[in-house]
This record gives sequence, structure tokens and C-alpha cells, in this order.
Amino acid sequence: MTSLPPRWLDKLATKICAPHLREELLGDLHERYALRYQRSGARKARTFYFREVLALLRPSVMRRKPSSHDKVSLLSPEILSNYFKIGSRVLVKNRAYSLIHITGLAIGLWACMMVATVVIDSLSYDRQWSRADNIYRILGVNNRGNSLLERSASSPAPLAQELMRNYPEVEACSSIETELMHFRLRPKNSEAIEASILTADSTIKQILDFKLVAGSFQIPTGNRWKLLVTRSFASRIFPGQNPIGRTIYQAPNFGSEPSPYEITGLIEDLPYNSQFRTDVIRLKPIKHEQLAGSKYIMFTNNYLLLKPGTDVSKFTSKVNQWYAGVMKNNRDRFEFQPLQDVYLHSDFAEGQKVRASAKTIYIFAGVALLLLFIACVNFINLSIAKAAARVKEAGVRKILSGSRSQLVIQLLTETMLLFGISICIASLSYIFSLHSVENFLGHKLAMTFSSNLPMAVAALLIAFLTAILTGLYPALVVSGSKPGHMLQGKFNASLGRNRLRKTLVVAQFSISVIVLVATIVVRQQLDLMKNKELGYDKNNLMGIEQISWNGKGEAFKSELQRIPGVVRSSLTMWMPAEGAGNMQREVKNPADANRRLRVWYIAGDVDLPATLGLKLVKGRMFSDRFADALNADSLQKEGFEKFENAQKNQNSLMTATAAKMLGIKELDIPSEGAHSVPVGVVGDFHNESFYEPMKPTLILAQKSPEYAGMLIRIQPGTEMQVGTAIGKLWKQFFPEKLLRISNIEDKLTKQYEAESKLHQLFMFFSGLTMFLSALGIFGLVVQAAEQRSKEVGIRKVLGASVSGIVALLSRDFVKLVLIAIAIASPLAWFSLEKWLNHYPYRTTVSWWIFVATGAATLAVTIFTVSFQAIRAALADPVTSLRNE
Amino acid sequence: MRRSDLGEFEEIVLLAVAALSPGAYSVVIAEELEKETGQTVSTGAVHAALQRLEQKGYLQSSLGEATQERGGRRKRLFTVTNFGGKILSDARTVRNNLWDRIAPGELSKMGLNVSGL
Repeated sequence: MTSLPPRWLDKLATKICAPHLREELLGDLHERYALRYQRSGARKARTFYFREVLALLRPSVMRRKPSSHDKVSLLSPEILSNYFKIGSRVLVKNRAYSLIHITGLAIGLWACMMVATVVIDSLSYDRQWSRADNIYRILGVNNRGNSLLERSASSPAPLAQELMRNYPEVEACSSIETELMHFRLRPKNSEAIEASILTADSTIKQILDFKLVAGSFQIPTGNRWKLLVTRSFASRIFPGQNPIGRTIYQAPNFGSEPSPYEITGLIEDLPYNSQFRTDVIRLKPIKHEQLAGSKYIMFTNNYLLLKPGTDVSKFTSKVNQWYAGVMKNNRDRFEFQPLQDVYLHSDFAEGQKVRASAKTIYIFAGVALLLLFIACVNFINLSIAKAAARVKEAGVRKILSGSRSQLVIQLLTETMLLFGISICIASLSYIFSLHSVENFLGHKLAMTFSSNLPMAVAALLIAFLTAILTGLYPALVVSGSKPGHMLQGKFNASLGRNRLRKTLVVAQFSISVIVLVATIVVRQQLDLMKNKELGYDKNNLMGIEQISWNGKGEAFKSELQRIPGVVRSSLTMWMPAEGAGNMQREVKNPADANRRLRVWYIAGDVDLPATLGLKLVKGRMFSDRFADALNADSLQKEGFEKFENAQKNQNSLMTATAAKMLGIKELDIPSEGAHSVPVGVVGDFHNESFYEPMKPTLILAQKSPEYAGMLIRIQPGTEMQVGTAIGKLWKQFFPEKLLRISNIEDKLTKQYEAESKLHQLFMFFSGLTMFLSALGIFGLVVQAAEQRSKEVGIRKVLGASVSGIVALLSRDFVKLVLIAIAIASPLAWFSLEKWLNHYPYRTTVSWWIFVATGAATLAVTIFTVSFQAIRAALADPVTSLRNE
Repeated sequence: MRRSDLGEFEEIVLLAVAALSPGAYSVVIAEELEKETGQTVSTGAVHAALQRLEQKGYLQSSLGEATQERGGRRKRLFTVTNFGGKILSDARTVRNNLWDRIAPGELSKMGLNVSGL
């Protein structure tokens, strides 16, 4: 007996070879193998055989003999309608299954569409400008020693002009700033219209393409600003009228006179998916300043238009070399951020209003994909489980000479029908929920499936593809077995593919557990940041936003003091939730000579520490009895040097952290690090959000600062009446100015909007994943109970108890869920620890979270499973045993 | 005469069938060709050529006996038809005529060894 060629090659050859040629050809191959084997041994024979099999790949060998029967195309209209008829009947017959399928798929598809919209929308920002690829923002990078880099979106204002002069690569440059302003149609009007305004150099026309509808671009002359208004804003303020040539007035923050703005041009609305979306544009003349040698340098957001094909990394290093040479400064460097990255990758840009965090988008997308995965797993699992019931049908079809492809198409049609219905439901919910999602995101979505036809078509195609991929596996499983086995019911045994189903269930529940743990931890972190002691009393605190007081600040304050409910008030140049301070200095770090220490200053009048509710640790608070307050405004007018010198001898309060970091042990002596004379130490307080570590902070007192905000401490529950009283008082004092008043606690809470949104998102998704997983396991239990109904009947006849049978049916699933918990917990712990490490003040992921999550998941499982298991256990054994 | 529908490989296979008659089938033909040319010849290629020749009417076939090496499968035996024989001899005549027209001196000038002829 000669040995035979490898089996797999044999199988392959059988597949390749047309059936009517198999006898002679495979015989030939085997005979030659035997000959080779005798002549040159097994190894050579095998190699040769392999080549022989490959050589079979030719049309004459592969072409199947056409069938002698009349062939009806598998896709002819009659057959197609038959597929649909049978398919819909099957779906209606198994209503419960269809419902589970449709619910799961609709949710999964809806979530995916929504998230795809958000992702596509955020990727579409600022791509529509004709020169978008060549526009860059200059980022300032400050090296604070020991590779501690601090990025910022602003750079010295004259820098862009200098670069333009020095480098031919720069085609155009402009500073671009957006802010909110209030306009009045007449100077004395009481109501004002809020508008976002973009201020830029006149060169901006070369960088961004605005479409001028009427009028012209004009540069301001004297102190009259010229405005370009967008169509939608124009129709809001002057409905149905020509806005060009009209004048509107800005409600003053500085000074007392409203400044006039003449409208000189009308432009098309700017695209919404741009960080430059704005209502009006004002151009300012280019200032020709020198970078080197000027004492005060203004910072601004600078944008450059580079020539196409410029190597940006080379350009960056050239610029930095030049800058280091000119400024004798090694600590400041610059980077050039492509315009397309500005929206998603600007975590460092504090002032930028239109931005999104790439990280949040990734989390969002990831969770939604997982959701779709769970939905598809449900589909596959249930379909395979249901397949057992379909095999008999498949067997009969096969015996009646139905081909395999016909069966596959039939099963795929059913999948398509299910997907089709789900897609319809998902699309409808998509259209209806779009608005709430926009509310949740806090901005409109410029690119949606309902507004963009190509996107909708692409989405449909992808859904179609998903449907085929998901439906193919169950279809192949069902159609693949032999008709004889199918009819004997041997198929159940071959469902040893159980391992796949089990793996899928475990994966599903692992995801649910991870999402659930994440929900709890995000919640904890949010609570921690919202409720952690700030070191000052944030409750019952109101704030008036910064404004110039026209010398009436003190008078307003003393009038305010008389309003019942007002406890204390203070003019301040710093407000909570507005950065770490109003001024900063870099000083030598006494602990580490290589590093520079940044010290923050908060300036207000003498009442500021008391109004905030700071606690004194050592020394004394500010008081009117001492000369604590500096007349900073007038000193600054007299000169920079004089002001600095005065500050050196000014009394200050410092936080405990500042005292420690600056190494100041004795009070009442001038300190170089503090650049003032500390007279007291107050308890640490968080002047910034909990995203930031505690910073060394000093408090200075100033005599009625001209440009300042106001903090007002009120008695609990008097907010409403104090608010109206302040409004009245304001009208008397500053009829021309707008009162912008807010509750400090609300403002502080708003800082954690990102976490709050993340938490809401996780709440929503954890509910959905858990629901879908439970749905999937429910389907499987129904299936198991059906398949084992005879077993259950016999057990009952033999005296098994109901609880015993429930346990029997539930055991497998509970085991799977336990495995899922065991797998998911460390994964969740690891990833959440990583996430929390970004926070200087972070919650701990404690063990009880996992216990609680595990218990909740188990409870859901047991509830779902026992629901059906009890029904199966209570069923009359006669019904299940009688049917044969 | 249409010579164009008899490719070079086909011609050789047809010749081999004639030479190995009556026991000609893919395996022996392929082995014979390997021996003669010294190059590997795959069964698939030979089979394809045989199929084409049969379609053109140069060959006819019948199923033969099964052996153990073939895994109990029968072999397909080929014989040359009258038409096939005519085509072969036509091809040979064309070649012979051309060979005869080459002067012996020319061949040695071209560096060909004519002693074997």
C-alpha cells in the first residue's frame, strides 16, 4: 500500500475540479503521486502534488458541466417574490424572535448612525475653505524646564507679521479672535442683541474665503469700526431691509459711551462647521510692530497661510532658530497647527469656544461600535439557536432538489427583511432624536444623514453590507449540513458550535460590565469634583462680570451693601472659574534650581478674602485699618517701574501652598519670591477647576480697581430679591451698560460639563448595553427551554422540583455571566485607572464598585433567565411529551 | 489546410498519444513528455490539451480500468482518430519539406549539429 497525498490538498483538488472530471483527473493525480513517491520519496512527491493541484486552476478543469434541467435563475422575479413571501411568513410566525431581533438591531443601528454623525461632523470642521490645507495656527510652546511643556493657542501679536516679512513661505497672515458682544440698534435702547464677533486683520480675505453679497470690505477710520454682517444676522436685526450703511452700537464694557459700528458689507453665512462661525466680522488695520525691543507684547491667535507644498517641520525649526537668535530666549518655541486639527486637538486652548475633545469623540465612537457589536452578536446567536428549528425545513427543501445557494438566499432574505425593518425604525428614531442629541452636544450638527444624500446612501450601503455579513454565517450553518442528518434531527448534536455562542455571550456581558463600571466611576469623579471642598464658600455667592466702573465702583458697592440680603461684597479682578488669577510671575523655585515656579496673583479690594470666605491660618487678614490696598490704577499710569517697585512693598496674603513652595516662614518682611510683603497665610483654596493641581497663589488688595468684576455674598434664599434689587440699582448707575450677573456655583458646575456629559452618555449606553445583552440571553434561554422541553417533561414526570429545573436551565447562563464579570473587572479597572490618572484630584476605583456591578449584572441575568425558565418548569409535561 | 488550430504543445501531446497507443492516458503521456523534454509537465496541462484535441475531433476517448494507485478511479484512454492522423502527417510533411530545403552547408554555418539527422 503506497501512502496517500495530504488530505487537505486532496480536498482542495476536489473543490477545484468540476464534478464530471473528478474521476479521471483525481485518479491521474493519485497515480502520478504514487509514481513520484516510489521514484523520489515522500517529500518531493508532496511538493509535486501541491504544484499539480495549483495547475488545476484552469478554466477547462474548473468549469462545471451545465445542468441538463431547465434552469430558473436564482434571482428571477418570481423566485425573488417567493423569497420575500416565505421570509415574511417565517418572521410573522416567530413573532417573539423577530421582535427581539428588530429591537436589538434598531437600537444598535440607531446608536451607530448617531455616533457616525457626530464623528463625521467633528471631522468636517474647517475643511471647506479653499486653502484649508495651507492654513496654520501658531502655537506658543513654553518650556518650563525638565521637559515640562506648556502649549497655548496664542502667540505674540507682531510675530505673524515678522514671519511674513522674513520668510517667503508665508503667503498671508492674520490674527483672528472671536468673542461675544452686545449690540443696540439705537444708542439709548435698553435691550441689546448678542452677537459673536470675529476680529481679524484686513488680510484675512486672502486666508479665508468670504462671499461678499453686497457692500465692500472696509478698514476702520478713526475710532469708527466697520462691520461685515452675515445674511442671517442681518435679517435678524434689520428684517427685510438693506443693512448696508446703517450703524449699530456696542453696549460698552469700557468707558461709558456706546461705540458705533457702521455696517459696510453683507456676506454669506460662514459654514457652521467651522471654528470661525460668527455673526459679524470687523477688520482692523495691520499694526507694524517690532517683536524685539518692545516692552509690552500683546498676545493673539495668529494664523498663517503658507505656500502649497511647504515642509512645515522644516519651516518650524527655521522659525524657532531665528526666534531664539532674535529674542535671546530658549524657553519659548512655536509650533504650527494645521487648521483642520484646531477643532479636535485644542485641549490646551482655554479661550477657544468652538472646539471638541478628540478623546471624547473616540470614547463615544468606541461605545457605539460595541453596542452594534452586541446587537450583531444577539442576531447571530439567536439565528443559530433558531437554526435548529429551521433545519428540518432546510432538509425537506434539499431533498426536493432545492440548491444550497437557494437556501442561503432564502435565509439571507429573512435577514434582509429584519435589517430593513430595523433600519426604517432606526432612521425614524434618528430623525426624531437628532434635535435632542444636538442639545446634548450643545451645538448644531452640520453634517447629518438626513441632510446629506451621499452620506445617507453610504450609510445604507454599509448597513446592507453588515446585514449580509451577519446573515451569512447562520445561513451557511443551516444550509451546510446533509439532508439526511437534518431530517433525523442530528443537527442539534452538531451545534457543538456552542463554544462560539458562549464566547459571544461572554464578550457581550463583559462589555456591559465594563460600561457599567465606567458609569459608576465617572459619576464618582463628577461628584468628587462638584462637591469637593474648594477652600472657600461657593454657595450664596453672586458675581457681576468684569466691566469698567467709570470711577463709580466704590459708590455702587456702598449702595449695594444696603440691599437687604447682601452680606458682603468686593470689587475683584479675579472671579472663580476664570483661571488661576489675574496676573502671574515666574520666579526661581527654591526647591529646584532648574525649574521656574509660576506664582499666581489675585487682586481685589480689601474685602475680597472675607467675601470669598477664606480661612485665616496665620497672621492677619486685609483690613482698612492698615495700608493694605495699593492704588494700582494710578500707579500703572505713572509707569511700569514705579508700579513694580510699589508692588514689592505691598502687603499680601498667601495660601498655605504658596508659603510652602516659596519657602516663606516669616511674615511681615518683603519676600522676593512673593514679590510683596506677606502679612497673613490663608488656607488653601482651589482658584481653578479640579483639572488643575493646587497652584501657589497670592492675594493683593487694590483701591477700587477701575476694571473689575464684583463678588457678592448674600444670605441663603435671597438670590431672587437681591438680583432684582441689583438690577434696579444698576439702571441708576450705569444705564448704558449691560448687567451680566451670574450665580458662582452654577458657573463652577459648568466647568465640569465634559464629565457631566460623559456621565450622561455612559448612563445611557450602559442601560442600552445591559438591555441588549439581557435581550440576547433571553432569546437563548427561550431557545434552550424549547429544545430541552422533552427533557424537562421527563424530569418532571420523574419527580424533579420546579426549583431544580429552573436551576438546571439557568446554570449555564449564570456561569457565562460569572466568567464575563471575571474577565471584565480587571479590564475596567485598568482602563479607568488610566483615565483617572489625568486628574490631579481623582476618585479611587474601590472594590465595592465591582461587587455592585457584578451583583447587578447577575441579578439582571437571573431575572431574565428565570422568567423563561420558570415558565418552562411550570409547563405541563404532558404537552411536551405528547407530540410524537 | 488550417494549421493554426494545432498548438505546439497540442501537437506534441497528439504525437505522444499516437506513440503510446493503445494505452495512452494523461499520466503516461505526462511522464513520457517529462522524460523526453526533461521538464516537469503537469497533469492539468496535459489534460487540458487532451480535452481540446478531443473537442477538435483529433482524438477519441473511452474510460479504462481502475487501479489501486488511482484510489479506485477509472482512467480515460485516448486514441488518435483518422482525422487526427491526417493532421499529424500534414504537420510532418510541412516540416520535412522545410528541413529538406535547408542546404547542409547552411546548417553547419549556423552552428547546428547535423550529424544526428
